[in-house]
Amino acid sequence: MAATEHHDDDHNDISHVAPARVLLATGGTLLMLTLLTVLATHVDFGANINLAVAMVIAVTKATLVILFFMHLRYDKLFHTVVFVSALLAASLFVGFTLMDTSQYQQTNIWQPSNPPRAPLGPRPTTG
Amino acid sequence: MSTAHGAHDAHDDDHGHVDHGSPFIQHHYDDAQHQFDSGKLGIWLFLAQEVLFFSALFVAYILYRVHHPEIYSYAHKWLDVKMGATNTAVLIFSSLTAAWAVRAAQKNQKGLLIGCIAVTIGCACTFLVIKYMEYSHKVHEHILFGRYFDPCISPGGTELLTKHNDCKGTKSTVEWSLDQAGELDLLNGKALSGCMEISKFDQEPREPGIQASCHVFEVKRTRNAKGDWTEGARREITNQCPEEGLETLEGKKHETPKYPCWRPAVQPAVCTPVVAANKPPSMQFGVIVEYGDEEERGEDVAIDAKCDAAKPEPQPADIFATQPETERLGQKAIQPIHQLTVHEEHELESLGPPPEHTGMFLTVYFAMTGLHGIHVLFGVFVFIWLLIRAVKGQFNDTYFGPIDFAALYWHIVDLIWIFLFPLLYLIH
Repeated sequence: MAATEHHDDDHNDISHVAPARVLLATGGTLLMLTLLTVLATHVDFGANINLAVAMVIAVTKATLVILFFMHLRYDKLFHTVVFVSALLAASLFVGFTLMDTSQYQQTNIWQPSNPPRAPLGPRPTTG
Repeated sequence: MSTAHGAHDAHDDDHGHVDHGSPFIQHHYDDAQHQFDSGKLGIWLFLAQEVLFFSALFVAYILYRVHHPEIYSYAHKWLDVKMGATNTAVLIFSSLTAAWAVRAAQKNQKGLLIGCIAVTIGCACTFLVIKYMEYSHKVHEHILFGRYFDPCISPGGTELLTKHNDCKGTKSTVEWSLDQAGELDLLNGKALSGCMEISKFDQEPREPGIQASCHVFEVKRTRNAKGDWTEGARREITNQCPEEGLETLEGKKHETPKYPCWRPAVQPAVCTPVVAANKPPSMQFGVIVEYGDEEERGEDVAIDAKCDAAKPEPQPADIFATQPETERLGQKAIQPIHQLTVHEEHELESLGPPPEHTGMFLTVYFAMTGLHGIHVLFGVFVFIWLLIRAVKGQFNDTYFGPIDFAALYWHIVDLIWIFLFPLLYLIH
């Protein structure tokens, strides 16, 4: 080992060197997407679509960071497996928790010093 | 070869290995490649658990947002999008410099490496300073988590009376008024409206005829040691609700209703907006609500309202013949005839009192940004350590693992903020 001859191009014996253009393009795209997601909130698509737009932009940004800043595109496949399995575990976590949320009744909390005049029925099921 | 200081503690160069290219290659690894790969796997495993770590908070966020979307669409207006966006840009730029630091180390560019690390530290500190400004503003205005949520200002910047009287105002009554110019004495600062569920406060009351005439009684209620309530004599008070609209009220010099008028028979716990008389009709309504106060009080004034049934709105026979006969005087100002857009509905909601348990949004906000901020702070220390080592010249093209691993950690911190920013600041 220890071959330390200097290369003029982007080469390293141990690990892949991210090309300068890739880094600059990734950073620039991320900043543009940040601007875009702020601007998107000023347009009214409806609450759900606005949320979806914001999340699509966020996922795009996250993918760019992971692939290029974090080198995962050039890295060993096993590191991708480790990271994606963490994401899968997190999505299982969220998914299983959300699965039965509609099965619980809403709780009305009121002040003991000022009880409501009429018994409160179940809340209107809106949304 | 670098001129590294041979100050590494457990290192001995004479255990039989050939030159590693760096004195920091540990003897229990085959070579620099082996050490780098082991460290990289380690940092990826750490990042995986970081994802799981934060996912618990994201679960809390999602669960609460599914149950109480109105809280999120209301309370996010206290957050400053400009500061959040600036912080996002700062973090992204610092991620770029961190990635560039790895590149510089791999290419033996010592000066560039030091510069990149220094810029990364500067960006991280900028992030923390902006975060500090946001936090201190919220602490100052009591826009805090859980039961400490007792804001001194509304999202629109209106000054409010608070429960604990530490901004200004009276004890145990929170009044929200859109009017900046002294509408707060509408209820003399004493009223308890008995409003409970205001999660969708404008869904029912916006219907026509809601401002029915009300007879309102004040009842003194006392509580004995067992906790039972007894009521005193009822005292009827004048609380004429505007029936025909603002113009009519102004013409008749009508008295402003003291208490909000309930909608009869339907949702007795829902508060309805009170139209302030003698005011221009633009957004001049207020709702009085008491909420979140866990203090026990010995006696109270309760309000008992009996309302006449609201007059049914005459339905137009032809659905295309909507104007102008359905527009009664003043009605246009109170309830727009046209279908409200989502944006207008949000505006209406944001102008009223907060939904119950609005403090939960700030609990989520402080928990998520706080944990993230701790990660940023830790990153600052790590990069300062790396900066010192870089200045000493301890990194070269065979030994740059710590730079790479710290940069990976920094990217995951950036990644989490990329999600936090739209989820907390950019709620529509």
